[in-house]
Amino acid sequence: MASALAVGIVTPLLAHHSPAAFEATKTVTLVGTVKEFRWQNPHSWIEMMVPNDKGQEVLWAVELTSPTYLVKGGWKSNTLKPGDKVTVVGRPLKTGEPGSAIFTSVTLADSRTLTERPARLGGPATP
Amino acid sequence: MSRAIRRGVPAILVAVTLAGLTIGAQAPAGRGRAGQNAAPAPPAATATGEPLSALAPENLNKPRPKAPFDLTGNWFISGSVPGGGWLFGRTPAVLPKLTPNAQKHFDAYAAAVKEGKVYRDDIGQCWPAGMPVIMTRVWPITMIQLPTAVYMMSEFMNSLRVIYTDGRPHTDPDVVVRTFNGESIGKWEGDTLVVDTRYFTDLDKHWVDQGIPASKDFRMIERYKLINNGNTLEGEWTLIDPQNWEGEWKGTRRWNRVNDHDIQEVECLPDMNQHLQSTSSSVHIR
Repeated sequence: MASALAVGIVTPLLAHHSPAAFEATKTVTLVGTVKEFRWQNPHSWIEMMVPNDKGQEVLWAVELTSPTYLVKGGWKSNTLKPGDKVTVVGRPLKTGEPGSAIFTSVTLADSRTLTERPARLGGPATP
Repeated sequence: MSRAIRRGVPAILVAVTLAGLTIGAQAPAGRGRAGQNAAPAPPAATATGEPLSALAPENLNKPRPKAPFDLTGNWFISGSVPGGGWLFGRTPAVLPKLTPNAQKHFDAYAAAVKEGKVYRDDIGQCWPAGMPVIMTRVWPITMIQLPTAVYMMSEFMNSLRVIYTDGRPHTDPDVVVRTFNGESIGKWEGDTLVVDTRYFTDLDKHWVDQGIPASKDFRMIERYKLINNGNTLEGEWTLIDPQNWEGEWKGTRRWNRVNDHDIQEVECLPDMNQHLQSTSSSVHIR
């Protein structure tokens, strides 16, 4: 079931496109089943089926950062597989349209929660 | 097989790296004094007068003043300068006075953002980002410096930019092929690398940032120094485009050296946007 709640931390997306259409802080929680998980640059993505308020299955596409940063957050290419039951938190479209969100976190069937590492690489302190 | 090759980094960078190592090993000592103010050397040429490639051994080995610093490494944009880091989707801290043409785009962009929509996100539609965006988005940049050129490869769509420092002039405007990264000619002025970039594309798909277009008359003057014991690259940028804003638009950008990351192959694939509703949904204004 999709529901909205507020969170205070937003991880910047390593994006090749504009994030203007997405909420900056408001999030949606998606409880559903993984249809496909794509591990690739510049974005990985999760497609999952999520029942709406009427019990109808709705396809949601959740966009993640690149594998470089997912690896640093503990992900592997096989972290998600079709059929996995997961809870995903993401930032939905500002228009309120269902079906699309930018990833914030996922809780797996084994109760582990994974996020993205912020799009910031190691290096010296900034002057 | 090298790690770079296995990871799919374009062969040109591997070749350049190897060329640099070879030339570095062969380079005569005392090529010049660091920081010397040198007049641009005349372009190297073959016996028949044809200009030499930046990677031709004769050009690489030509005696010239030693560069005051070496940009070779991986770099990542720093947000330490207000308004000078990641501008994507945000209003720059300092905007020049826009011309009516640019103001029309910027107002439409601002209105779209208010409505939760995306205005002319050509990059999301797989058009090249071009300069300066390839250096201001949150993607690392590999730089390889040779005596004749600085090769820059942004991980952002693996965009290649070459800054020629072998003394060649800009190409005849009647011959040059206009591009999204432009043609960059650099020279050393004391401890500073000064780069003049011209000849950008005339396609209306090139943006300085969201809502701010770049025309074929767009020109960039960049002045680079290494600070923070060589771990931070600082660039003073002057952006000129009389079609889109008045006068010179100046700003500072910084990049931090990154030692724990090699760039990967990143492509905008034809089928990718079908799975990313942020690039394919009805909220886009094209």
